[in-house]
Amino acid sequence: MSLTDRPSTVQRGPQIEFDDLTVRFADRAKPAIRNITERIDPGEIVAITGPSGCGKTTLARALPGFIPSLIPAEFRGDVRVGGRSTMHVDPAKTATHVGLVQQDPDAQICTLRVRQEVAFGPENLCLPADEIRRRVSRALRIAGIEHLSNRETPNLSGGEKQRLAIASILAMEPEILVLDEPTANLDPPGAKGIFDTLAALREREGRTLLVVEHRLAPLLSHEPRLWVMDGGRVVLRKVTRRHEDLVALGLRGCQDPGTAHPHRITPGLSLRNVRVGYGAHCVIDGLSLDVRHGEILGVIGANGCGKTTLLRLLAGLERTETGAAERVEGMRVGMVFQHPHQQIFEQTVRRELEIDGKLNDAGCSALLEEARLSGLEEAAPFSLSLGEQRRLTVAAALRTRPDLLLLDEPFIGQDRHNVAWMVGRILGARDRGAAIVLVSHDVALLAGLCDRILYLGDEPIEGSPHEVFAGLRKMGLDAFTPAYWEGGS
Amino acid sequence: MGNLLILAGFVTVGLAAPSVLLKVGALGLVCALVLLSDDEPLRFLASLRFILLFALLLFIVQAVSTRAGTSLIDVPLRITDRGLLAGAGMALRFLLILTSSFLFVTVTDPDRLAHLFIRLGVPYRYGYAFILALRFVPFFRNEMRTVREAQQIRGIRASVRTLAGIRRAVRFTFVPVLVSGLIRVDSIAMSMKGRAFGLHPKRSSSVVERWHIEDALAVLITACLVAGAVLSRRFAWM
Repeated sequence: MSLTDRPSTVQRGPQIEFDDLTVRFADRAKPAIRNITERIDPGEIVAITGPSGCGKTTLARALPGFIPSLIPAEFRGDVRVGGRSTMHVDPAKTATHVGLVQQDPDAQICTLRVRQEVAFGPENLCLPADEIRRRVSRALRIAGIEHLSNRETPNLSGGEKQRLAIASILAMEPEILVLDEPTANLDPPGAKGIFDTLAALREREGRTLLVVEHRLAPLLSHEPRLWVMDGGRVVLRKVTRRHEDLVALGLRGCQDPGTAHPHRITPGLSLRNVRVGYGAHCVIDGLSLDVRHGEILGVIGANGCGKTTLLRLLAGLERTETGAAERVEGMRVGMVFQHPHQQIFEQTVRRELEIDGKLNDAGCSALLEEARLSGLEEAAPFSLSLGEQRRLTVAAALRTRPDLLLLDEPFIGQDRHNVAWMVGRILGARDRGAAIVLVSHDVALLAGLCDRILYLGDEPIEGSPHEVFAGLRKMGLDAFTPAYWEGGS
Repeated sequence: MGNLLILAGFVTVGLAAPSVLLKVGALGLVCALVLLSDDEPLRFLASLRFILLFALLLFIVQAVSTRAGTSLIDVPLRITDRGLLAGAGMALRFLLILTSSFLFVTVTDPDRLAHLFIRLGVPYRYGYAFILALRFVPFFRNEMRTVREAQQIRGIRASVRTLAGIRRAVRFTFVPVLVSGLIRVDSIAMSMKGRAFGLHPKRSSSVVERWHIEDALAVLITACLVAGAVLSRRFAWM
């Protein structure tokens, strides 16, 4: 049997075998993954987690053969799917066996319409038109985006693009689904929905799931086999469905936000009955809000509800159609965008930090040490890891001691160490009196960190975390509450 | 298919018909199609203002530089009847080709156009290169906007009025945008290969193109335009 033949549904032995696998990229001294020997049986669900740079994504890319076929690397050992090596095989040939949904959904969409995007794979397989249409309809239904089928792909929101990326792989009907942080851009109900759907596929059709995730809570109810990776190795294996296990393993609850310090809570910026829209599409309608100094305001809500638009409005990057945004004169604003590479401009780390004014050597060293970037003064910022880039952008935003700090999904793709580091910086900024607005889907983290929460939806709710989460439960929006994710409801 | 046929008809008139009247008629037809197909025809025309200005410039240069013909004005410049006709012909040719192409790009779904080319025998790899290029246009536009906003937040001003400003703009704007694009190249390649792109020499298609009344109308209009171009050339109509 070649890899292009579909194996029989009854399979003996492991479906996936990593055999003493070591991968090293040419520009790195240390291997990204080393001596991994693991087996996965058909129908299993495996959740892979670990700190940034531990090799999770490399492992996910090696499985369908993208490494070394498309991404050159020194490759030792073997990866087998259904008993056949995927090494040096054209990944197009493994496409019906292994489907990979990558981290950044925007970077994997290659057509201009949703329906065409989902049909792209089946068309490459030369399937008849009827079969393509059946697969497209089914994949759109499973991913919950039937209503978007005629939309243009560039106009979709981040969450919609994520669902589209999943649908386009589902249309290939692979036996093994590999998902690299598939819910990073999804709101809590969306994340839960995707995992439930994928788990149902596994139950009904025996598909094998490999999920690379930092947010493990939505997966727990499906009792995954957990692989914790560190330094390129799988250092821990455990089957669990208990949230307490994640806490015990240090995979959750690592940050201690402390308590609020309401010593200097004064309004810094006020929105009065504002309306913001793009053409006929209204994003924010009739919102009134005070953003106060010495306070962290968390903003939650479904994909496309206007969270990023609100941040842009507060930053002065968006105009109101009606209503007013009143701010204290001379207010310094710092903003951390969703993707670090969009706000890196200079050729070295030091020069990046010096955009806002020259630093002496001691000041620069202190700043780099604070950002855990010591020794990287002359490194090119784009050569840093995602976690390091994130710390650099946060450090640069905080350097001017902003009065208003705006953060747009800063925790996406970040491991718990980086999240803990950011939480420390955010609390520090709050304690010196900055007003902080933090957009995130991580409701459990926001519950412990924020002084106030704003839920943006048809009926916005604003108040203390306790009040808002109670209100959301009453409205039947349990998935937006931390208790839902921590087994408390 | 209809859009492509009509474009071919207008380009034939623009390039082959010597008749100014035929070109004026064809341009009128383009304007009528703009009115029928665009919700905001004035905005469409506003976006063509540079083309209109350039057409006017072409007309003046051609009218002034043609010496042959009966003189209509001698002072300060000699303008002849043949100069006016040549100027009008040149400006109309330019306007007709540009406006009809602009209309075609505005109303044609590029996905369907690429599929049409593939069905007409263009290798699908080239068809998808075209679609990918179009896919990256809004991506670069969005990235550019975000990068500029990030600059605004950090107080970076990248004016392009001086040489130093242009250098700053290149460094602070184009480099981050380019890096974003390059980051995505590997992902796009994996995404396409991971969905069996290139596995077979041919692809199938789920898109079924049906013959509509608009297509019949397009054939008729194209036939009239081509016939007009041929006849005006044969009988030297002005």
